[in-house]
Amino acid sequence: MVLSRKIAYINLSDASVRISPVPSDLRRKFLGGRGINMHLLSKVYSQELDPFSPENPLIFGAGLLTGTIGFGSRVNITAKSPESGHLGDSNMGGDFGAELVKAGFGHLVITGKSRRPVYLMVKNKQIEIRDAGTWKELDTVETQRAIRQALRDEKIQIACIGPAGENLVRYAAIRTGLKNSAGRTGMGAVMGSKNLKAVAVRGTLDITISDPNNCLKAYRLQLKKLMETKWVQALGKYGTPLLFQYANAMGFLSIRNNQSTSIGDQGYALEAEALEPYSTGMLSCFGCPAHCRHRYSLTEGRYKGTKGEGPEYASIGSLGTKLGNLDLENIIYATELCNRYGMDTISTGSYIAWAMELYQRGIIDRGMTETPLHWGDGKAILQLIHRIAHRKGFGSILAEGAFAKKIFKELSRDYLLDIKNFPIEMTDERLPKSFALGMATSTRGACHMRSRPSLDVLGLPEEVLKKIYGGPVSSQFSSYSGKGRMVWWHELLNAVCDSLGFCRFLTVFSSPHAPQYQQFSKLIGLSTGLAMTPRELKIIGERIYTLERMMLVRDGISRKDDTLPKRYFETPIPAGPAKGEVISSEGFDGMLDEYYRLHGWDKNGIPKRESLKKLGLSG
Amino acid sequence: MKIKVNKEKCSGCHLCEMVCSLFHLGIINSGRSAIHIKKDDLDTSLNTPLLCRQCREMKCLDGEEGGRHQEKKKFIWSYKRAKRCPFDALTILGGNAYHCDLCLGNPQCIKVCTPGALTLSK
Ligand code: SF4
Ligand code: SF4
Repeated sequence: MVLSRKIAYINLSDASVRISPVPSDLRRKFLGGRGINMHLLSKVYSQELDPFSPENPLIFGAGLLTGTIGFGSRVNITAKSPESGHLGDSNMGGDFGAELVKAGFGHLVITGKSRRPVYLMVKNKQIEIRDAGTWKELDTVETQRAIRQALRDEKIQIACIGPAGENLVRYAAIRTGLKNSAGRTGMGAVMGSKNLKAVAVRGTLDITISDPNNCLKAYRLQLKKLMETKWVQALGKYGTPLLFQYANAMGFLSIRNNQSTSIGDQGYALEAEALEPYSTGMLSCFGCPAHCRHRYSLTEGRYKGTKGEGPEYASIGSLGTKLGNLDLENIIYATELCNRYGMDTISTGSYIAWAMELYQRGIIDRGMTETPLHWGDGKAILQLIHRIAHRKGFGSILAEGAFAKKIFKELSRDYLLDIKNFPIEMTDERLPKSFALGMATSTRGACHMRSRPSLDVLGLPEEVLKKIYGGPVSSQFSSYSGKGRMVWWHELLNAVCDSLGFCRFLTVFSSPHAPQYQQFSKLIGLSTGLAMTPRELKIIGERIYTLERMMLVRDGISRKDDTLPKRYFETPIPAGPAKGEVISSEGFDGMLDEYYRLHGWDKNGIPKRESLKKLGLSG
Repeated sequence: MKIKVNKEKCSGCHLCEMVCSLFHLGIINSGRSAIHIKKDDLDTSLNTPLLCRQCREMKCLDGEEGGRHQEKKKFIWSYKRAKRCPFDALTILGGNAYHCDLCLGNPQCIKVCTPGALTLSK
């Protein structure tokens, strides 16, 4: 059944649904999830394609092994991004992906625009377009509850938008469960532009497994090895907030829009241990053995009665330190607001940080912002979140994201730390050079998760790194040497991981002993019967990444855009553990050269003809 | 022998359901597993793994003739028995109920339950 999952083409303009099989050569070339999504998007992607037009396809794609025993059950959501104006793609956990495949579908390609608010009901091989008029303006949790209640089925899984998506906030998210988000690149705004409030899925179909006994055996072995790693043990105990402490100690955290990079001892207030009093347990996404997600409850104080999941490191940084905000309860509440409205916490924090720095420097003033915008003012942050989601006053300007550059005028540009019109996150990459390159080359604009090249922070001997990466890589993470290779290697692995539906946390992310190609190959074979060698899988990773790059090339993107914010090159980190760190143009260019060469792209970052031919991407 | 549940520890991963159906039926289907996780993922209440408690007095077999010992070893039951279970412990899909046969002595679910919510009790 894994291989018989269907692609559904849904056009909301004429309410038509066409269901077709996934051709077997497409599976072999792109697996599923992100890979097949990219293939589908690339057919219509152009510089002229308006992200808010009916022609922009919103594509949901479950990984090839989503819903089976493996290392997660994730789904990718892909479209042209209204946030950056370039490639949009976001990956989401929770139980939605597994339910989609149980209903018999691997991919949904949604085009057109409905005149009235609608939702899709996907159930056991059937798809219906239904009226969603009564749910307009409900937040993302209310929407899910309302649909389950109306259909009297608690097992329905729902991906939906909230007011932010309906109001076309450019960084609106698509949400499922209490916290899971396809957060970055504004997929929720694309959904809103189609008048699509939700996709509800329910499935009870069997997922047939090619070799059940051996699959179970192989899985248990891989599981055992993974659970023995220190990384997964720590992740299961503390969740991603454990990374906050590390970033603060090393000095690669964003403080006040990257004006500094560590808050020293003040960091205790936001560390994983500080979350413990609020935590009521740890949760897993469907099919995940690691349980990295906090569930919390605020039982007293200003935000009494707030319950939810999270907050993750990315939100603590983006709505916390990046805004000079060290009030953990405020951060938890701000995160919950963003989740409810259906708005990416990382981008929301980044644009507010931009506005705060502009205010600090007097580039904008109260005439525009309506209220003072001081660093660390929790109340102002919450107010802005409300105003952005509803597009009220100054909130409506910030809802434009990086496109607000036009409104703020020339002087504002250098204070939005963005790459390819997409803001950097809760971190500062002047210290870890592999991360810096990965941000610059990511195919969805500034994103640490496209590559997340972090094995060089573990202090592994260089021989070990060489064995993993197939070439020399420096074990010093502030060194430029070999980091082009590292980024390239992780980009490929992560593209495969997203196409299988696996979670990056459970693959080579922070542990060299976690599953990778070898293990993937085994599980694919035993689950689906598809024989694929580790080498073939790596080539698939290159195919996907290069295809993504080709879409960017259509937008006119090249080497000149694979760069970092000015601040990274010009201003050494002023104080703290990473004091003095800065990116040298020479070092950066060296990494980029090595990186292009390994990808088979030319000096200008354009994939070479022969590389495209080898990957089967020409014509 | 039975599977002991500590719901405080359950992460809601559904891995137990997947391996239960895979082991018995060679397919993956949470709806056709003897164990199922009751979960309200929109609230912050606990997840509750439900499965046969291996009761001494089997209410589920009320009014039926024949050997309990034999029935205990069967995985697929009629849904009617599930209706008689005072704990609503069995999974029902279509006309069938799915009953924990303890994998005939080699329980699978506990091996993948990483938080330790499922353990074997003699
Ligand atoms: S395997 Fe354990 S943690 Fe996962 S759902 Fe089952 S009982 Fe809960
Ligand atoms: S012991 Fe076996 S039959 Fe019983 S719930 Fe666990 S996996 Fe299913």
